[in-house]
Amino acid sequence: MVHQSPAGTRDLLPLDVAQKRWVEERLQDVFHRWGYQRIITSTLERMDTLMAGGAIEASTVIQLQQVDDEVLGLRPELTASVARAAVTRLAAVTHPQRLYYNANVFRRANRGEHNRQLEFYQAGVELLGAAGVAADAEILLLLADCLNQLALGQWHLVLGEAGLTQSLLSVFPEGLRQQVRRSIAQLDRLAIEALPLSHQLKQHALLLLDLRGRPADVLQRVSTLALTDEQRAIVTTLKSLIDLLSSCYSSVGSIDASPNLILDLSLIRPFDYYTGIVFEVVGGEGGRRVLGQGGRYDRLLGLYHPKGDTRPGIGFVLNSDELHQVLLTTGQLPDQTPTNRWLIVPATADDYRAAFAYAQKIRESTNLVQVEVDLGGRDRSESVQTYAQQRGISQIAWINSTGTPRIESLGARIY
Amino acid sequence: MITIALPKGGLLEDSIRLLKSVGLDFSLFLDSANRQLEIWDTTHTAKALLVRNYDVSVYVEYGQAQLGIVGYDILREKQPQVAHLVDLGFGQCRMSVAVKQTSPYRSAIELPPHSRVASKFVNCARDYFEQLDLPVEIIPLYGSVELGPITGMSEAIVDLVASGRTLKENNLLEIDRLFESTARLIAHPLSYRLGMDDLHSVIEALRAATLVTQ
Repeated sequence: MVHQSPAGTRDLLPLDVAQKRWVEERLQDVFHRWGYQRIITSTLERMDTLMAGGAIEASTVIQLQQVDDEVLGLRPELTASVARAAVTRLAAVTHPQRLYYNANVFRRANRGEHNRQLEFYQAGVELLGAAGVAADAEILLLLADCLNQLALGQWHLVLGEAGLTQSLLSVFPEGLRQQVRRSIAQLDRLAIEALPLSHQLKQHALLLLDLRGRPADVLQRVSTLALTDEQRAIVTTLKSLIDLLSSCYSSVGSIDASPNLILDLSLIRPFDYYTGIVFEVVGGEGGRRVLGQGGRYDRLLGLYHPKGDTRPGIGFVLNSDELHQVLLTTGQLPDQTPTNRWLIVPATADDYRAAFAYAQKIRESTNLVQVEVDLGGRDRSESVQTYAQQRGISQIAWINSTGTPRIESLGARIY
Repeated sequence: MITIALPKGGLLEDSIRLLKSVGLDFSLFLDSANRQLEIWDTTHTAKALLVRNYDVSVYVEYGQAQLGIVGYDILREKQPQVAHLVDLGFGQCRMSVAVKQTSPYRSAIELPPHSRVASKFVNCARDYFEQLDLPVEIIPLYGSVELGPITGMSEAIVDLVASGRTLKENNLLEIDRLFESTARLIAHPLSYRLGMDDLHSVIEALRAATLVTQ
């Protein structure tokens, strides 16, 4: 019988791991430099924890039945877990808290999707207990720093304001509001045109659906609408965030450093999860891939607190698999695993003590060297060199019973 | 550069005529000698892909084409994550339930529970009968669905009807309509949000051209 991995899962072989770590190490380095600390939460969560925020549907979670009939799910994202842990386990910690994670997540394939990927990797941050323009700016600048460290080239930041859009939707009659919202979220102009709305409301919905473009233009268009004081305040805050971002982006200097910023007030989810800014990072050839997303969720933490005490929160997640696909095309990822530099070969089967002793001596040298001991099982000395070359080994040390090495350098013969 | 996915078959000629009216000439696709599946327009500003009607939304969903022209029937059946932009008006037809002329049933709700219904549009058919709260067995077929009732394999079919001639010639009778369908302009959501390569002016030109003809 052939044992295959389940459809939709995959194994990461050493080269895949080397590439994955290349990305992760760069991201972790940025997270650390911004003062974020790593949190590792459980892969398994109760279904009610995963679904509390309203953004996750049970049908998209891979569920596991427990003995006592408690249903657990494999986490489809980490914000719920981080929020739960922060509220219950880190309640006494001084705020703001800066946390990051780097973990695998799972998503059930939908009907009709063949062998779709089930397991993904994500790296993200959560900034808990901080509200306001400065906190929003920190998250977006940290995001830009991450993408610049990966040298991804041109990327786009599509920025929305869920609180503002939600508020602008309040003019629609309650019975139709959710449909209008879903149609705007899905960019379904034809569904809006078919709704039983007055001409004026229909035009308003269509305006919201296309309220995007250069930030200055969009803010200009929004300010021509009849806004409430509350809405006007959100627009003012949004404007100061965009001004702050633009001046920070340009002070970094490099052209790569600043994303193409698109203000998009139609960027909204069909459900109330985000309460403030919301954003997507788009990159790759022709802008086809969502590399990451995030937003402000000021009501979420309260859902996990026994007394409903809430704190503001904002975060983003980078989709490591998408980053990997884009980086593969830029040629930056390592294309081979780190080479084992030394191969220690005992002259006879009796010389292993001397071989292991010599190998250990080299391992302890100041520079990191990778040392493997030849385990034998070959007939001719010729095959040792062939093996060494195939493994990218540069030095062979032949050890006799006295422990004296004879060093053979393969440097020139490596291909 | 913009890439547009165009459907082979009934919608192709109208699609090409519409694109030509906004300055994008892909008439080469109408030349029976042409075997190319990807061509530039004559001014070299946009590319077109010639794909099966059923596959248009796939190319658009994955962003290989920023725009696509496809029947609403396919969008209802596949529910792809694409932006629905303009009702282009042509390719009018309807999704209907039909039975043999000799069948005693004159509306879908009269079909006995657990009847068999043959269709290419299994999701549309399933949703429709679920909404009627009528349990039926859907038999997926990929063509000549009319043979379902003729051979007695199924009591009814759910299929696209344009003129109704095929039904008549096969002694079938349309008894209910699920929805009307026309060709639609769709877009890759991210491309629509980014609006690169002057995508929006092409969309607006197509919208304006459509309003003129309607």
